[in-house]
Amino acid sequence: MKALLARSWRAFCLMLGNQPSLTRYLLPLVQWLKPGFLPGQYRAQLVATAWQTADMIELTLQLSKRWPGFVPGQYINVTLKHNGRYLTRPFSICSSFSLWQSQGQISLCCKLNREGEFTPLLPRLTKGQWLSISAAQGDFVWQQPALSTVFIAAGSGITPVAAMLLSQRHWLSEVTLHYRVRGNENAALLAPLQQLAQRNPLFNLQLSDSRVETATEFSVRLMQQPLQREFYLCGPARFMQQVTTNLTAHSVSRAQIHCEQFAPLLQNTAHSSTDDEINSTFIIAGLPKQITLPVARSLLQSAEQQGLAPAFGCRMGVCFQCVCEKVSGQVRDMRSGQLSGHGREQIQLCISQPVTELVIKL
Amino acid sequence: MKLTTEQFDALALELDTLKLQVKQQIGETDARYIRRVLLCQRLAAISGRILMVLGFITPWLWLAGVLLLALAKILDNMEIGHNVLHGQYDWMNDPVLHSKRFEWDIACDAGSWQRTHNFEHHTYTNIIGKDRDFGYGLLRLSNDFRWRLRNLWQSGTYLLLSMLFQWGVSYHELAAQRVFFGKKKADRHSQVTDSELKKAFFGKGARQLMKDYLFFPLLAGPMWLWVLAGNALANLIRNLWTSTVIFCGHFTRDIYTFSAEACENESRGQWYYRQMLGSSNFTGPTWLHILTGHLSCQIEHHLFPDIPARHYPTMATHVQAIAARFNIPYNTGSFLRQYGTVFWRILRYSLPGGKASTRPAYL
Repeated sequence: MKALLARSWRAFCLMLGNQPSLTRYLLPLVQWLKPGFLPGQYRAQLVATAWQTADMIELTLQLSKRWPGFVPGQYINVTLKHNGRYLTRPFSICSSFSLWQSQGQISLCCKLNREGEFTPLLPRLTKGQWLSISAAQGDFVWQQPALSTVFIAAGSGITPVAAMLLSQRHWLSEVTLHYRVRGNENAALLAPLQQLAQRNPLFNLQLSDSRVETATEFSVRLMQQPLQREFYLCGPARFMQQVTTNLTAHSVSRAQIHCEQFAPLLQNTAHSSTDDEINSTFIIAGLPKQITLPVARSLLQSAEQQGLAPAFGCRMGVCFQCVCEKVSGQVRDMRSGQLSGHGREQIQLCISQPVTELVIKL
Repeated sequence: MKLTTEQFDALALELDTLKLQVKQQIGETDARYIRRVLLCQRLAAISGRILMVLGFITPWLWLAGVLLLALAKILDNMEIGHNVLHGQYDWMNDPVLHSKRFEWDIACDAGSWQRTHNFEHHTYTNIIGKDRDFGYGLLRLSNDFRWRLRNLWQSGTYLLLSMLFQWGVSYHELAAQRVFFGKKKADRHSQVTDSELKKAFFGKGARQLMKDYLFFPLLAGPMWLWVLAGNALANLIRNLWTSTVIFCGHFTRDIYTFSAEACENESRGQWYYRQMLGSSNFTGPTWLHILTGHLSCQIEHHLFPDIPARHYPTMATHVQAIAARFNIPYNTGSFLRQYGTVFWRILRYSLPGGKASTRPAYL
């Protein structure tokens, strides 16, 4: 019944304004009155920015009352407008649940990628500026705080982990955090975590300086502790892959390991070299265009390289804004390595690599 | 005006360079501009529909409403719809102004338009037999076509087509694919099936009819007849305007046509050359350019279909200079003069014979 109503409403809006919702039809008017408004998103106002480390900036946002809340460990997609263009990136919430409960605020800790398109804009944001954010997403949450748990975070991977730890009110079992980072000066969110460790005897904070301790030494040290624990990993893809391989080699079951990955890991196939290119066709606004796609790149990257402008969002497979119709050909999911079918289907450009010749409607 | 291979390459290089220069300027100003046009369009549409109902106070309010609604439909179709559907604003990554998401206030389904206009017409511009926009399969506009009896009254056909232009546009692809009548052509390939075509045609058409001739009249209560008539009039104004603008783009006196064989394996320079010879501009003030969706700069639009259209008037001065340097004819004139030649062409070719159409030298 509800689905039928929704369908009828959609049909009605399409009739009235050729847009799937009235909000989209009225969007220019709404945005005129409410800056930062986007359909399906929530408005957020920047209340403070602070440097956590030399390359990590903390943004504190005052959220719209409509925002449905989050489970610590989850992330949101942040959208801002730059040079007339909407850009979106996902960021883990790094502040505690109580900050949102008491003041309606959250903080994000964003690592600056100087070559990137998005993060270099963050230091230039001014207080009071409006942004759009999505509802909280992701299943990287602390599922059973009653069990003894080991958190392993590297670099900016600390953000969701910090949110989980700082939000915990009732400590029931021993928790260790291994925080691997290039020296204390590069350790974001270190102060609140240290305070937590002082206050709470069940929480043990272990820093690993990657300039002093090699990856192998770190790994060996990890394996020396009791392994009948729940493991939560967050950090660079390669780092997590290493730790996971080591843990499973020490007969830790997959079910005990929980991971959050920030960027898709590029899967290279054994039989094709990374310089290989595949001739394909993109149909843009009805117009077919022949292009060559390097197999090592995502379709989104290749399309943009060719001067095309497909719709996009988070660029790591979470927001589904870049979904396009593949008419024919096979692609590989860069995160899982899974191969698609050969026929017509919807694919995400940002995490798909070409395997065979493709025809895609952008 | 025969050009050598080197000259064609030089022409391509110059036009590519111009395109690149403009592309680098695209940003904030373009985004603000198109969002503002969209805002004006929405305000015109909403206020137009309200004013029509207020016609019971004085008919002048009704008339203002009709004109505002017509303006809204023209802005939606020309400066916003046509240009957004070309992907001119895809870089904005906007939830509404993206070629994949936009749908316009006209009977023609956006997807069908992209296939017939963006692909067929823009790729095969003025190639006889391949660009169905040259005469729309209804009118004889050059002596490339055999004369038939029905051409005798084609100025009437033209008038009817102009009045019902949105339906002509929406039926265009179905006619080409012989969905309802005629024998399928063996050389035509389609990305979509006949049933998909029918679904889009009837679905979009029904929505447009329901909106203008059922929903809003019903909503107006006792003013229903005024609203119904006002909507019909607004649609008529839009149809006549769009048809007139589009006819001025390709059917003026000094237009060139091409044969399919000659255009095989053409170089980028030759493609540019064909676009310049196959299109015509007309001059006018800024508001006229906006109302035509900058199709008043049809030549620039055909050279650079994915550059935001507000850049065309400035690009036109450069293109005209380049054309002069390469000794390529650049077809432009006042709106009335250009339209006059279009009407003359329709009349002239309704009778048998006619001057052999101009074919450029390289072909």
